[in-house]
Amino acid sequence: MRSFIISSSAVKIDRYYDKNFKELAIESIKDLEKKISEPLEPEALIISSVAVEHLDRQSNMAGIIADYLGLRNIRVYRVESGEASGLAAVQIAHSLVSSKAVKKALVIGVDKLSDMPNAKIAELYSYLKDSDYIQIHGVSPLSEAALLAKIYMKTYDYSYEDLFIWPFTMHQNSLDTPHAQLRFKISPDSYKESPILAEPLRLLDSYPFGDGASALYIVSEDVAEEYDVNVSIEGLSSSNDVNDIASREDLLIFSAVRDSFIKTLKMADIELGKLKYIEIHDNYTPNAFIVLESIGLADRGKAPELLQDSMIGSAHVNLSGGLKARGNPWGATGIYQVHEIFSALLGEFKKSVLGEIEYAAAQNMSGCGDVSYSIVLKRVR
Amino acid sequence: MMFERSPAKIWRNRDVLYRLKYSYCRDCKRSFYPPRGRCIYCGSSNIEHRYSSGRGVVKEFTVVYQTPVGFTDMSPMVIGLIEMEEGFRLLAQIVDVKPEEISNGMKVEAVLRRMIVDGETGLIYYGIKFAPLIEKS
Repeated sequence: MRSFIISSSAVKIDRYYDKNFKELAIESIKDLEKKISEPLEPEALIISSVAVEHLDRQSNMAGIIADYLGLRNIRVYRVESGEASGLAAVQIAHSLVSSKAVKKALVIGVDKLSDMPNAKIAELYSYLKDSDYIQIHGVSPLSEAALLAKIYMKTYDYSYEDLFIWPFTMHQNSLDTPHAQLRFKISPDSYKESPILAEPLRLLDSYPFGDGASALYIVSEDVAEEYDVNVSIEGLSSSNDVNDIASREDLLIFSAVRDSFIKTLKMADIELGKLKYIEIHDNYTPNAFIVLESIGLADRGKAPELLQDSMIGSAHVNLSGGLKARGNPWGATGIYQVHEIFSALLGEFKKSVLGEIEYAAAQNMSGCGDVSYSIVLKRVR
Repeated sequence: MMFERSPAKIWRNRDVLYRLKYSYCRDCKRSFYPPRGRCIYCGSSNIEHRYSSGRGVVKEFTVVYQTPVGFTDMSPMVIGLIEMEEGFRLLAQIVDVKPEEISNGMKVEAVLRRMIVDGETGLIYYGIKFAPLIEKS
């Protein structure tokens, strides 16, 4: 049972003080609408947002955006699964379409991190942790990632400077990504001199806070057949782990990332080597390396050594600049990732690097791998 | 800025937050915190709940500067990965010691400390943090 993506779009991740959630979401579908040959008439609207209740004092976001889009008599859903909300929303759309409940589904991811001060955003980010027993200690994914960085460096004998290869590569990659929030190079000095967030992690080990919205149009096979070029969702799966890293038996493998990726490749019936382009969830530098090792692109402890010019093994990784430089507007991030790999399959994104490719994948997780989703896309025509 | 945490939420969790109630799996013999009805390692529901001695060892720690609202006046705040005598691990603040004096392997014990203050006139919430162990002679 497959579904197909026929159009996508994304706004540049930035600070949009002049736009509210609804306006940014609607802005994100303008390009998507131009690329389809028929009126935009989805039978389902799925909105992915992590924090709209807290940032905008708003629930029922999907119903309200449908109202502003002039959509009536359709199914509306708002999906929240932590930072993995984007791919969770895609999974809902895929399920609705592949089960023939609907023929056309519009997915929009939107969050506005610039609407609140940084300390408030740090608080909202800590909501990813169990509020009864973990968050109450002041623990957040940032402090967990800092602990993982120290354990990773000690276990595999890396210095802090050795980790610079990741943010450096991400900032190189984002230079020609039109929707990236940060489009500038960084130097080893700027890396080491950026403010400490949670030692050893500094500002340039983390993602920038910004506003973003991205959209996908997911349709059934008979609708997709009317288009010259289209892309199928070949695999889409998820997995989960315990919420706090302290209870994990193996701190340096994200089992949810590993398991969801294995399941997704199995659904797509392909080997890892078939993937020439993968977008991963690199909310913090150590997490990027642990994800690469969890999905099998590098042996344990080898990712920093193996990464060269955005390639690891036979795959290009995070050509967008990743969360580090493209940005991480929480609920929209997974949608940006799919927009990027979809556009690459059509030859409209990073073609000079990738050429023509048949398969591409994305991995979208919450916190330090508490929940993870993976998707494999294939160019059909 | 108000933190707006529910007093009832703290009260109903008092055994876990103040007495470090944890779970022990009778089947796989492993312990974990916070307690759950099923073992997080083997899935068994053959679980009993126990109370920790409050003593443990620092396995790793980080000094956090970007603290969430509610914790900004504690910045920089030390978060430790602590392995308790009973075998389970948890994440909590380490206090009463300068960060440069903390080391992995350091023995610590649970102490009751102020956690969160709900604004200037709001409730003060207390909870467990960890301080260097004072050996009793």
